[in-house]
Amino acid sequence: MNVGDKLILNKSNVSKFFSSLREEMRLVAPKRRFAGDVICDVVDSPEEIVWEYGHDIYPPGKRYLFPHYEDMFTYRFGEQVGMEIAADSPKQAIIGIRSCDVTAVRFQERFFTSPIVDPFYAERSRNTVLFSLVCNRPPKKECFCICCDAGPYLESGFDVQLTDLGDRFLYEIGSEKGLEATKNREEYLEPCSDDDIAERKRIELEADSFFQTASYIAKAIIYITGDEVPDEVWEELGSTCFRCAACTNLCPICTCYTVDDVPQGNELFTRCRSWDSCQYAGFTREASGHNPRSTFGSRVKRRFYHKASFQYIMRDGRHGCVGCGRCVSACLTKLDLPSVVKRIRRAMHDYIEPKSKPTAFLQ
Amino acid sequence: MSTEVKTKMLTGAKPRNMWGVTGVPTGNLYVPMPAVIEKIIVETPDTKTFRLKLEDPKHAEWFTWEPGQFVELSVFGAGEAPIGFASSPLERSFFELTIVNRGKVTGVMHELKEGDRVGIRGPLGNCWPLEDIKGMDILIISGGCGLAPLRPAILYILAKRSDYGEFWLLYGARTPADINYKYDLVEWEKRDDFHVLQTVDVGDDSWTGNVGVVTTLLDQVKLDAANSVALTCGPPIMIKFATLALVKMGFSEDRVITSLERYMKCGVGKCGHCCVNHVYLCTEGPVFSYAQLQELPETRA
Repeated sequence: MNVGDKLILNKSNVSKFFSSLREEMRLVAPKRRFAGDVICDVVDSPEEIVWEYGHDIYPPGKRYLFPHYEDMFTYRFGEQVGMEIAADSPKQAIIGIRSCDVTAVRFQERFFTSPIVDPFYAERSRNTVLFSLVCNRPPKKECFCICCDAGPYLESGFDVQLTDLGDRFLYEIGSEKGLEATKNREEYLEPCSDDDIAERKRIELEADSFFQTASYIAKAIIYITGDEVPDEVWEELGSTCFRCAACTNLCPICTCYTVDDVPQGNELFTRCRSWDSCQYAGFTREASGHNPRSTFGSRVKRRFYHKASFQYIMRDGRHGCVGCGRCVSACLTKLDLPSVVKRIRRAMHDYIEPKSKPTAFLQ
Repeated sequence: MSTEVKTKMLTGAKPRNMWGVTGVPTGNLYVPMPAVIEKIIVETPDTKTFRLKLEDPKHAEWFTWEPGQFVELSVFGAGEAPIGFASSPLERSFFELTIVNRGKVTGVMHELKEGDRVGIRGPLGNCWPLEDIKGMDILIISGGCGLAPLRPAILYILAKRSDYGEFWLLYGARTPADINYKYDLVEWEKRDDFHVLQTVDVGDDSWTGNVGVVTTLLDQVKLDAANSVALTCGPPIMIKFATLALVKMGFSEDRVITSLERYMKCGVGKCGHCCVNHVYLCTEGPVFSYAQLQELPETRA
């Protein structure tokens, strides 16, 4: 067995396969909760996994690799300053994660481990294997991963990729980590036939034709990179922002966090980090009161500069959107990526001549 | 002085030592090294200079830094804040941080006494290009507490005085009471090889010196802009007007070098607060030439 192998996991073997995996690590998978929603969570038995689910609004990759709130270390002051690292990073398999979220996990991995290695993320990432599930149909009308090179299926970047072929899954091994998780369980896998590959190809082509949302991001990248979009346009867009930060919190790519020292009593404190958002006014406000991004427009501009500028593409290896559609579902005032891209393109029709000097590398 | 005109484009310089890049003495990027407050110097009503010493000799051995770099100061129970080094980098037995009482962390810091413990993560960031500007005339423009991150550079240049050309310092403060490092300025003004000009925005009865913003002092400066470099730090508005005035004087855009400040949390390029356009100030800054800042439109704000 090698990386790159394509195999078949019969649905009759799925339970046995994941029961065996559960002996080595905890399983995180889509599961029906009390209120009826399907949300990715730790499952006690593979029977709980809901395979026919759409899309978890809470990005599972981010939730289990870069949690909303995490303790970094605890310290005590007084006689002696002792510090205890508090990171918890169990071995885990995230099952049923979608292609867009896998792409986002790879993006965050790269960000958190280069050039300086974030010890907490690196440890979790080492201990996590992703069993992604191809979307046979885009799960929501808001999905546009097809415009962002992040789905509905992946050519690379996955550990193990599963495609639902009816009574069986196509089981593709994409990394050493995926291979490691497959070993000891070869008995549940079978070789795949040419017909299975052909069926997979048919599903791919069919899935591509079901997308309802498109984002013509390329032109917006040019405008944003050259800082050509006038401030008035950003201010107009920003004027409807509620500052709720749903867009950045739900974004599987966003990585910004803040750090707080939380008192635990007895002179004991925990330094913890939690997600922060560039859409909050306090994100850049300095102790003096000076705020370099004091307007709504400047903050919305900031968000889209990070998502869609060539400078960041050079830094991060891809643009900062995987087309998961969560900001489309979440933003009440349409400050989501496809809408803003569309509005920038529309506004720029009036600005055919670039207003500002292009940056050096475009000259 | 030297007639040789340097042609190398100047930028913030890469430091020899950087937390997380050249090592992490505590074993975890986010865990600070304990340090003890050895001495507290009251500079102005709202500013104190803290002399600190790392407790662990192994940490102290590793801890070398260059002018322009900064640390993340942990005030236990309050949090972390980025503070620039303010003492001479040649002094290995202690280092100093000058802190204005402004926010949550600095407020608690100001209540600490000699002998109290704090945490240090650093050195962080890049540094003034002091190697690259050897032989050149140097003009330092600074306002208020903006003198703090330049003080290591001044002390370094004074210690290696023959390596550099003409040396000017223009320093502005709001009022005479707000002048930092009065003890240093007295000594510096006595020197023949260091031209120090001071001004205040608003004088008082005892003040006999210049009154006005710091850029008004530029008329008194006699320097050949072609072989000079300017280092600036201060409030954003001061940096802006000083830079414009210097460019008008004939300084090329890469010879005006400044240190930027932003709200910061992690100091290692992860938390995202200090990001200006696509540049993380904590790892790629805070020192930039005006030419570099042209590529970062957000700094115009």
